[in-house]
Amino acid sequence: MSNPQVELHIANYGVITLELDQDKAPKSVANFLSYVKKGHYNNTIFHRVIPGFMIQGGGMEPGMGQKPTDAQIENEANNGLKNDKYTVAMARTNAPHSATSQFFINATHNSFLNHTAPSAQGWGYAVFGKVISGTEVVDKIEAVKTGSKGGHGDVPLTDVVIEKAVAL
Amino acid sequence: MNTAAPRIAVLAASPAWRTIDFISDLHLHVGDAATFEAWQNYLANTPADAVVILGDLFEVWVGDDAAQPPGFEFNCGLILAAAASRHDVFFMHGNRDFLVGEAFLAASGMQVLQDPTALEFAGQRWLLSHGDALCLDDVEYQKYRLMVRNPAWQQAVLARSLAERRAFAREIREQGSREGDNGPTDYADVDAAAARVWLSAAGAATLIHGHTHKPGEHELGVSSSPADEHPGAGAPELRRVVLSDWDAAAQPPRAQVLRLSADGLQRIDIA
Repeated sequence: MSNPQVELHIANYGVITLELDQDKAPKSVANFLSYVKKGHYNNTIFHRVIPGFMIQGGGMEPGMGQKPTDAQIENEANNGLKNDKYTVAMARTNAPHSATSQFFINATHNSFLNHTAPSAQGWGYAVFGKVISGTEVVDKIEAVKTGSKGGHGDVPLTDVVIEKAVAL
Repeated sequence: MNTAAPRIAVLAASPAWRTIDFISDLHLHVGDAATFEAWQNYLANTPADAVVILGDLFEVWVGDDAAQPPGFEFNCGLILAAAASRHDVFFMHGNRDFLVGEAFLAASGMQVLQDPTALEFAGQRWLLSHGDALCLDDVEYQKYRLMVRNPAWQQAVLARSLAERRAFAREIREQGSREGDNGPTDYADVDAAAARVWLSAAGAATLIHGHTHKPGEHELGVSSSPADEHPGAGAPELRRVVLSDWDAAAQPPRAQVLRLSADGLQRIDIA
């Protein structure tokens, strides 16, 4: 069975196509697809952008309001997939198994985000797919000007909006 | 030249402590995985009852708001919190990480130490400092230090955006590398007269510090302070003991701990 793909249509930027690794990250992929299918990501923003590191989105609306999410999922960071450039991984709080809808795209090889041990400080971040087209869109978002908004740092000064996320 | 003694904070060791580790100048940053791992392994395995970090744990600290997940600073906070749940972890600011604030200290479980602090342990006082405030020959640096340690300056910097602060930090680092120095090695060393004044004011015989990246031990002569003269005991020999910086990727690797027990000080190579 071929891997599922999802297109993120970003207003004024273009389309990022993700291929999701169903075999290695089944729970993260099912979770992501569920949010895609119910339209959760439509009209959300990339709210945390750090050049040379990553771009993060999937949880906030324009204006920095947080969208309600489903239950937290198990962290699949021990699946052997690495936080390499242009991979997509689940964001979370400091609890290892706390990911919901937010994800991030690595803008470089972030080996320090990989799983090293099943402990609070070693769990790492679960990679569940990669960008297969639109890497130039990721690069463009990475270069956006950022500032502080709604108590968060690294927020793009002009909203970077996911108009829609489409499962192919 | 200002050799006046500063206010000296006091840290009384817990009676339960048998060994205390001192480390400094790790200059942790995301681009140095080897030193980060050496430090992580060290913290997870040290038998010490307390770990005292005497400044420049981080190569640069642009503000506690940078420590968000995912992120390198955030990871460091988790590792420190895990260590702090097993034994006391103390943190003194250095000249690179002077912006570490209350939020990160709380999240990481570290207890902050003023510079300088007199540690009371094994019937003696041990004076602890990062060391940069004693490098008096570098007049320009001392002016810079006064500026960046000023709370008003720090507030003004922290009011800038994270992106601006990161750019500013990059600029400072690039300036440093253009001038051909890799840290404070080329700067002035600790002023012996000022160190004696500090030790006398603290009632301590040994100063433990980092900053200079010149690990070693230096005799500072005999204390002349009347406060140190006790009948029947000779005046104490003063000395300063300098911590090593860390660079686990260097050949040979540098990752050293100074361990204090009732038997005195011992250097332990980790890498």
